[in-house]
Amino acid sequence: MDERGEAITSGGASSKAQGHPVPFHAPPADAAIVEALRRGDEGAFTTLVDQHHEALRRIARLYVPSPAVADEVVQDTWLAVIQGIWAFEGRSSLKTWIMRILINQSKTRAMREGRMVPLSSAELGDPEGPKDLAAAPPLEPAGEWRAHDEDRADASKDLVTSLHDPGLSPEGSLLSEEARVRIRSAVESLPVNQRLVITMRDLEECTSEEVCNVLGLSATNQRVILHRARANLRVRLAGTALSE
Amino acid sequence: MTCRDLMANVTAYMDGALAPQDRERFEAHRGACPGCRLHVAQWQTMVGSLGRLEDRGKGAAGTQRDHLLALFRERGLHRAGPRVPGIPLGLATALVAPGDHLAYFWETDEEFVTTAGFVAAGVQHGETSLLLGHAEAHARLATAMSEIGLDVAALQREQRLRFLADRASADGLINELGEQVKSALDRGTPRVRVLGNLGWGRMDSAGDRELLRLEAGVTEAIRMLPVVVACCYEVRRVPGLVLLLGGLECHPLVCRRGTLRHNELFAPRESVLSDLEKQPALFGDPDDGSGEPRE
Repeated sequence: MDERGEAITSGGASSKAQGHPVPFHAPPADAAIVEALRRGDEGAFTTLVDQHHEALRRIARLYVPSPAVADEVVQDTWLAVIQGIWAFEGRSSLKTWIMRILINQSKTRAMREGRMVPLSSAELGDPEGPKDLAAAPPLEPAGEWRAHDEDRADASKDLVTSLHDPGLSPEGSLLSEEARVRIRSAVESLPVNQRLVITMRDLEECTSEEVCNVLGLSATNQRVILHRARANLRVRLAGTALSE
Repeated sequence: MTCRDLMANVTAYMDGALAPQDRERFEAHRGACPGCRLHVAQWQTMVGSLGRLEDRGKGAAGTQRDHLLALFRERGLHRAGPRVPGIPLGLATALVAPGDHLAYFWETDEEFVTTAGFVAAGVQHGETSLLLGHAEAHARLATAMSEIGLDVAALQREQRLRFLADRASADGLINELGEQVKSALDRGTPRVRVLGNLGWGRMDSAGDRELLRLEAGVTEAIRMLPVVVACCYEVRRVPGLVLLLGGLECHPLVCRRGTLRHNELFAPRESVLSDLEKQPALFGDPDDGSGEPRE
């Protein structure tokens, strides 16, 4: 361990080599990865890239106008990870930290491109704005609540019903290309905040704690946005059955 | 619990976020109502299918993977040898590298106002800026930043800009800076830049000794961090010894009149500190003839 890396953390002038001060709240596996990255272990780096790269690209796309710009944002994110790893103390998990950098880079880039930023301060952080999204009116009242009789009535046209039938789509199996296209386009039609939260929670399978940490949302607001996203998606998928 | 209540709580239920008694009520209703049972099962199916939408573990596309690995090799801080400068400085049209510590020598008001550009370059790239200095410098800098279009109040609210006073011990300041750097990086800022406007000669001579001890420790302290530190020296005002020991011997890089240069006079921390011990006074202060550092 290079003691100079720790100098600023351990009192500068009087610092001694004492290894990494590990107050890790992060998963223990993270500590080993951090160590390896600091050593310059290329295998550890490519493993980390393989784990997260595609998810980072998909999330960046929700902020910036083109895949090429998203790739730049993700590259800047990796560079910040490579260089910031020396200050990483595991106050959050490595995954949460990487995603925070991504969101920060995505927002900065979106603002530079003059794009609207999801979950921007105007909407959530602004003291004048609605603090509690639960109190705000739902975006699509129809999506909030439907009688379940209606679900059954539409069953023949409902994508979810066909997915739900174990004969058609056993658990853990791959989705048909057609189902993917339909679900993707339904997700893409959601309002951007809902799309961001449902992408992180349900597509990238982040925990609610991770999403709150990364996006700076309260647990309640995160759940309200996710619930609305799922409800709206449920309605949109009800009108699209598979052709078979 | 009604069907409507149940549906409003499906997400909380699936997250395991319902209070025990609400959970019981939810499950009791679901058990008794075939419509709700189907509804919940379908939500679970839908959420499950979202998790299978993208092929996981496919990893980065080949060329990008190689490109990122090259980035790791060339720009990782573990790498020995000179760093690749890739960070716009904003003071001169130069790029700097993580861990760079430079002295900015200024004479005119215009040259002082230029330092707002250092902060602006950071803001452009989503960085966090820490401004360490005396009150008068802070006030002038805040005006200069507003004049080039930075929303100082908003940046402070978003914790992307922070004013820190320079009145503390060298160790205290290094610790405080370290804490601020770590918390900014933890929030997802890619880099931190620090602008120093240390109040040389504004305190007593012992105060200047502390500031010199701080300057002497900075280069080493930030060597392995994504941090760039620029220290401003008002050359018409600071005493010669401060300019020599602080400005020239503590900074591997110097910037003057828009040009960034490597500095041959840079000296290791120990050398600066031992030189400092030998100086009876840093400037013509009759009250400080003893040469004793403040304890």
